[in-house]
Amino acid sequence: MSAATLNPAAAKASAKGLRRPASLQGHERLATVVVLLLTLLLVGALVSDRFRSLGNLQNVYEQSVGLALISLGQTVVILTGGIDLSVGSLISLLSVLTSGLIDGHPERITDVVAGILLLGLAVGGLNGLLTIWLGVHPLIVTLGTGAALQGLTLLYSSDSAGSVPPSFEFFAYGRVLGMPAGATLTLLVFLVVAFLLRGTRQGRYVFAVGGDPNAATLLGLPTRRVLVSVYAFSGLCAATTALYVVSRFGVGQPYTGANYTLASITPVVIGGTLLAGGKGGVMGTLLGVYLMALLNNLLNFLDISSHYQLVIQGVIVIVAVSAFTGRRARRS
Amino acid sequence: MRTRGDGNGLLQGNGVLELMDIRKSFGGIDVLKGISIKAAAGRIHALVGENGAGKSTLIKVTAGVVQPDSGSIGFDGAERRWRSPGEAKSFGIHVIYQEFVQFPDLSVAENIFLGDKRVSPGGLLNRRVMLQQARELLAKLGVEIDPSVLVGELSVADQQMVEIAKALSHEVKLLILDEPTAVISGREAELLFVKLRQLRDEGVAIIYVSHRLEEIFELCDDVTVIKDGEPIGTRLVAEVDQATLVSMMVGRRLADLYPPRRRFDKPPVTVLNASDISSGARVKGCSLQLRQGEITALAGMIGSGRTELAMALFGGLPLDGGSIEIDGSSFHRMTPAKAIALGIGLLTEDRKNEGLAMQLDVAANVTAASLEDVTRNGLLDKAAEARIAETAIADYRIACRGASMPVAQMSGGNQQKVLLARWARKARRVLILDEPTRGVDVGAKADIYRMMQDAANRGLAILMISSELPEVVGMADRVVVMRDGLIAGELQGADIDERAIMTLATRAHDAGLKVAA
Amino acid sequence: MDSILAATAVRSQVSPAPARWLAVARRHAGICVAVLFLAAASVAAPSLFKAGNLANMALQFAPLGIVVVGQMLVILVRGLDLSVSSVMATSAVMATAFSGRDADLVWIVPLAIGLGAMVGATNGLLVTKRNVSPFLATLATMIVLQGARNAWTQGAPSGNVPPLLRALGAGMTAGIPNNAVALLVIAALTFVLLHLSTFGRRVYLVGGSPNAARLVGIAVDRVTITAYVMSGIFAAIAGLVLAGYVSVVDNWVGKNFELDSIVAAVMGGIALSGGKGGVGGALMGAAILVVLSNAVVIVGLPIHVQLVMKGFIIVLAAALYAAKSRRAR
Repeated sequence: MSAATLNPAAAKASAKGLRRPASLQGHERLATVVVLLLTLLLVGALVSDRFRSLGNLQNVYEQSVGLALISLGQTVVILTGGIDLSVGSLISLLSVLTSGLIDGHPERITDVVAGILLLGLAVGGLNGLLTIWLGVHPLIVTLGTGAALQGLTLLYSSDSAGSVPPSFEFFAYGRVLGMPAGATLTLLVFLVVAFLLRGTRQGRYVFAVGGDPNAATLLGLPTRRVLVSVYAFSGLCAATTALYVVSRFGVGQPYTGANYTLASITPVVIGGTLLAGGKGGVMGTLLGVYLMALLNNLLNFLDISSHYQLVIQGVIVIVAVSAFTGRRARRS
Repeated sequence: MRTRGDGNGLLQGNGVLELMDIRKSFGGIDVLKGISIKAAAGRIHALVGENGAGKSTLIKVTAGVVQPDSGSIGFDGAERRWRSPGEAKSFGIHVIYQEFVQFPDLSVAENIFLGDKRVSPGGLLNRRVMLQQARELLAKLGVEIDPSVLVGELSVADQQMVEIAKALSHEVKLLILDEPTAVISGREAELLFVKLRQLRDEGVAIIYVSHRLEEIFELCDDVTVIKDGEPIGTRLVAEVDQATLVSMMVGRRLADLYPPRRRFDKPPVTVLNASDISSGARVKGCSLQLRQGEITALAGMIGSGRTELAMALFGGLPLDGGSIEIDGSSFHRMTPAKAIALGIGLLTEDRKNEGLAMQLDVAANVTAASLEDVTRNGLLDKAAEARIAETAIADYRIACRGASMPVAQMSGGNQQKVLLARWARKARRVLILDEPTRGVDVGAKADIYRMMQDAANRGLAILMISSELPEVVGMADRVVVMRDGLIAGELQGADIDERAIMTLATRAHDAGLKVAA
Repeated sequence: MDSILAATAVRSQVSPAPARWLAVARRHAGICVAVLFLAAASVAAPSLFKAGNLANMALQFAPLGIVVVGQMLVILVRGLDLSVSSVMATSAVMATAFSGRDADLVWIVPLAIGLGAMVGATNGLLVTKRNVSPFLATLATMIVLQGARNAWTQGAPSGNVPPLLRALGAGMTAGIPNNAVALLVIAALTFVLLHLSTFGRRVYLVGGSPNAARLVGIAVDRVTITAYVMSGIFAAIAGLVLAGYVSVVDNWVGKNFELDSIVAAVMGGIALSGGKGGVGGALMGAAILVVLSNAVVIVGLPIHVQLVMKGFIIVLAAALYAAKSRRAR
């Protein structure tokens, strides 16, 4: 999108060198989320005894997989200063393709899953390439590809498509050593990605490109490769989310991804990752995911309709983003 | 490791870097017109020149950021070409830019080793080694910085040390520093010099760009002066003095562009009195008076804070301290709308991003600050607008196809005239012009000077920011020189000449000069 | 983010001056893309411009046109309004929330407009005072409004649209759709505001360079907020017209209008970077989109091809604009 206007307030703040120390801000944010999480748990436990049962918490943990996986990809994209608005449509497409292609045949599962993952990777990569080749802001590119993908989804199937055999349920419902398989796998994936971002050379590139793309290029970092990779990764995450959704519901539906786009951004901004890029991390996002999942769960028990949950989600995003106007409010 | 030269004659030791006849032009403008320069190992080579002389382009060519149009680069005895900064780095060339190439949200160690494969075998960052080596590098520089701290939390001087540590993490053959003391001073600068001397003694070739002449005499072995993209000469620092350097930097005869100097019968009335203005990091307490009918030039090196001072006076930047007295009242806060209402106008430095609405036409741009003159009952009075535009086009000799020509299609000079027309009709007390003839052809320049003179004759107080010394000398009744956010001095009338201005701007001291307090 | 694009831009060779027709084509990039599609469509579906079809398309034109005019204002000041579809839907629901008689319009219309204004004001304040990116601010308000609306209707809107509104939204007088009147009024008003009034001049100054506008004393924030408020109000009015057109308001009323309005604006020459474009272009873009969408159906393609087509158009047009502005720099 276009550059932010010259903001006298921000100019004043940065000119004076008036910045809260950077790491304090980061830890502050994480701490805030943890506190909110604990508060929520406490309030929920007091208010609703159904909420505080172990079984319920495990349920929430189990069901957070979809949101967590897609927010993971979105986090990495946002870290580079971009955004992926096509994730919802991609999830829709890949979920109907999954159940449509498997169509009840267990022997097809392996091939289809592999294909779906690759397709997600490819579409994501295409988003990144279009951004670079065309010189168009990723917001516009992914808005366009998202529309096109939703159209393709509906062309393939305007209603739920095919089905998957019961064995496919394992991702969403299975247990390993008493722990929910999908959720634990997701947690592990988060930890791995967090490690890759902080502990590998290429992972630091992501932060560098988001922090100052010009400086990154000046330093000789492979900026374009980084950008394509993060969008490809986001596509891969969309693919795994699609697989999860199919696993959970037994079938893919063309509108299933509709709410995922905004839903994937909320935990990211709550968790401390700045929309401008360069700062934040995936563990904050995970905390944000748990927070949103618990919140929705509690609201359900309080008989607050799912519609209000949407309202609350929107309000949370607004508050989260406007409360912490980052240092880079005026980057152009 | 090379041995240090013994100081006799130029270029002792092997010439590490040799640029020969480098030419570079951007968009039709010749920035470098055949520069040759040699940097020798074990010597600190100063590069000086006024604003726009071509220093930063020269650095970019050396560092592989831009490709020269012609000319050759010799490094370590062989002719080389590098296509990217990465390539130049691999040969041992490192640049400390004025704007650090750093990431505030990454740690010191991460910044130093970003992209460095040596501490990340197989991609995995070996943090222990990174921290340890970072500590060693910083210790070698004699600074106590915790390498795990985020760079954004450091002081600017420490950030600069991190930049240098970054360079030192590789084998440095040539280190280039671009105005390093622009952001540090005093004790920190001294520490920097100690490091640089250490590096020199270890055989590193250093190019040191600065406009602070006293530093050059303190630190450097050789000095090259360039002006307008051409080399003026290279000397041993020991063999020149400040006056000579200043002469080399400016020596030029005045063109006949300027209207004849005027005489004031009686001292003009003060229209604007700014006291102790501070704003942000760039303006640290400046006091300035602008007088009716007088053209005051604001001179100084790039980064001295002139534009920021002008912006603060206009309300474009916040006023952190001080007051502006105008029209009988004193103001501690200013906004553009208020300034305009008080009769102040500002022609900004960056006409494309802060001046013109590039997608609109001449008429719209000329009337942009005087919308109330073309409004009737809330609607645009197109007839009035056309009249104003046509008058402006005639008065200012704006070359265009008519008032509805999009300004984007006009030359720089004509665009500038449009802006001048905009402000000249709005400002009734003070008119601030920031680099009014930058990117403007000679013919338009003459017109603009004439208009400035006319405006002054009509009683406006004019503040002209300019980096072109001939222009300052030719136009100004009074020159205020800024340096590092403060007013370094004022020159009046006959005392105004290029050397005097440059002397004040660069903190060179010349005994034989009368300087107005 | 724009700096990422600059940093990764393919270094262009100095190319010879393009042929004249190419230069013209570039200047009207979006329109050219659309015209190409249109030409293809009319070749593939000659029955597109038959009388019955024309009437159909004419009726569909007004709701979209009204929204696009509002979206244009926001894009002109370098913003984006994704909340228009939600405002439309909520406004449509309001039309059915009462007893279904014409007398209710006394309540319905001011309420709807008030809603639109409030949402717009919220968007504008978030963007200017809290520095939230326009996309996120309007996306969030869209969701909040959607939730509120669903909660109110319990997911199943019901009720009747007052007959007057139905006549306005779906009726024709002498072969011309009544809702065209609404569109005409709004378009005329906006035209005066944008192209004839001083406020409009301020809008273009802000869109062209917010910095420069600030430095000539324009209250940039106020102009921006006004644009968002107007977009909200227009979306609300469009929602009422739409309610009249469909006469049965369900959960999907207004769907995709945010995307459509952006696509139409882009096709109509409204540059996403701000400061360029006008009412005429906005209306033309809306008209072309209506024709294109109908063409898809008439040709026999599945309706969902429309979505794919819109996605293409957005990316293509944005790419052409980006290439053009890179060259101009």
